[in-house]
Amino acid sequence: MKKNTYYLLIGCIALILLAIFWYSVEIHNPLVIMSAFVISIVVIHFLRGKVTDLIEDERSRKITEQATVRTFQVFCVTLCAISIGAVMQLLYVPTLPRELHTTKPPEVLGPRLMGYFQLALLCLMIFLYVGFRIYYARKYGEWETDEE
Amino acid sequence: MKNKIKVFRAMHDLTQEDLAAAIGVTRQTILAIEKGKYVPSLDLAFKISRYFQVNIEEVFQYEEHEVRTIDID
Repeated sequence: MKKNTYYLLIGCIALILLAIFWYSVEIHNPLVIMSAFVISIVVIHFLRGKVTDLIEDERSRKITEQATVRTFQVFCVTLCAISIGAVMQLLYVPTLPRELHTTKPPEVLGPRLMGYFQLALLCLMIFLYVGFRIYYARKYGEWETDEE
Repeated sequence: MKNKIKVFRAMHDLTQEDLAAAIGVTRQTILAIEKGKYVPSLDLAFKISRYFQVNIEEVFQYEEHEVRTIDID
């Protein structure tokens, strides 16, 4: 399989995933999109093995590896900071005296708010990965030009 | 790490594309190594030097980083 065919198939898979996503929203069943996503990753992995003209050498692997590691490092720190904040909410105890206490107790994060939160984390992860990938690709001479 | 890949390529009348194809990497990798942007693994360094049929040290020269010392009176 040629490289361009592979990229075309990835585009098709992304469109199918988008359609499945809207379908799962319609029927209100997250399991559909979750399983479709996992299956699509497996299919993409299988297709990648069939590409003949895609050269992946140690430099490109290093760029991917470094970008992934840095993304997870920043992501973990962000997630930890948010989690610590959430734990603080769990341990919240109103100060005394109780009758003078006027502030409202903290609200539990609802499923809708949780969805927005997950969306923000997902976007953060994607932006971080793309940013780090560009940084490391630049560092390891991806867009270097020569006199040849 | 300094290298003389460009010199050896010129001696063998090879383009970056030719060398890359011969050792199974991309042209960008050869370019990045030549420009010192990327330090190859031992495996790749041996492949390159064996391709030119020379010792690894003839192609790659290791430069020891200057160790900074502080004098305490």
